[in-house]
Amino acid sequence: MENTTEKWKIEDVLKEKGVYIGPTVGVSMLPMLKNRRDTIVVKPKTERLKRLDVALYKRGDAYVLHRVLASTEKGYIIRGDNCYADENVPEEAVIGVLTEFFRKDKHILCTDKKYIRYAERRVKTYKPRRFFVRIKTKIRAFGGKILRALRLKK
Amino acid sequence: MKIKNGFVVRKVGGESVVVPVGEMSKNFHGMINLNETGAFLWNFFTAEHTVDEGVQALLGEYDVEEEIARTDVEQFVKTIQENGFAE
Repeated sequence: MENTTEKWKIEDVLKEKGVYIGPTVGVSMLPMLKNRRDTIVVKPKTERLKRLDVALYKRGDAYVLHRVLASTEKGYIIRGDNCYADENVPEEAVIGVLTEFFRKDKHILCTDKKYIRYAERRVKTYKPRRFFVRIKTKIRAFGGKILRALRLKK
Repeated sequence: MKIKNGFVVRKVGGESVVVPVGEMSKNFHGMINLNETGAFLWNFFTAEHTVDEGVQALLGEYDVEEEIARTDVEQFVKTIQENGFAE
């Protein structure tokens, strides 16, 4: 049994063991990965990532796991499945790629056809999802204004 | 001895790795790799058991001498306790 809690950095674990297996943190990859419930398996990047790959990259000291939408000359355009903004991520910031994950106790390989169909669908439905989220946000804001106005009248 | 709640054992590429979940993942960062015996003992000690019970469980599962089994269980329990995984 080996515990690498000391001197913990994912890039060190990837270099030393060739794989990082750990919990998910955050909501940006919902509904695929749930915060602190699911497990990710990441391997070091050995070649340019492809569209739909899920990249592990560093943003400052933080680790981010988001999906590749396209390659650019110097890196990638990346977005979380539950996010509504794209990011330009330089090639050198990407340290690994998701190869498999556990959703609850279900083990899913990123080469699985059903998973690839999910990823494709998630990327394709981005615009309508963004549209509905904006509408929902506006309705909430409008509802809030009305409630505040009613409270003031009382 | 009992291992705290908040960990799951994932088998990836033939290796067993302990991963923290829920609140535990806020405090524990890193990877615990288990060999076959370690994975067996980890699962066994997710319920309250004594070292002697662990030795008997190991003897029931593997073709191993009692002295070696006891050394393995004692070492496992010591590592678990030292790393704060025991309740």
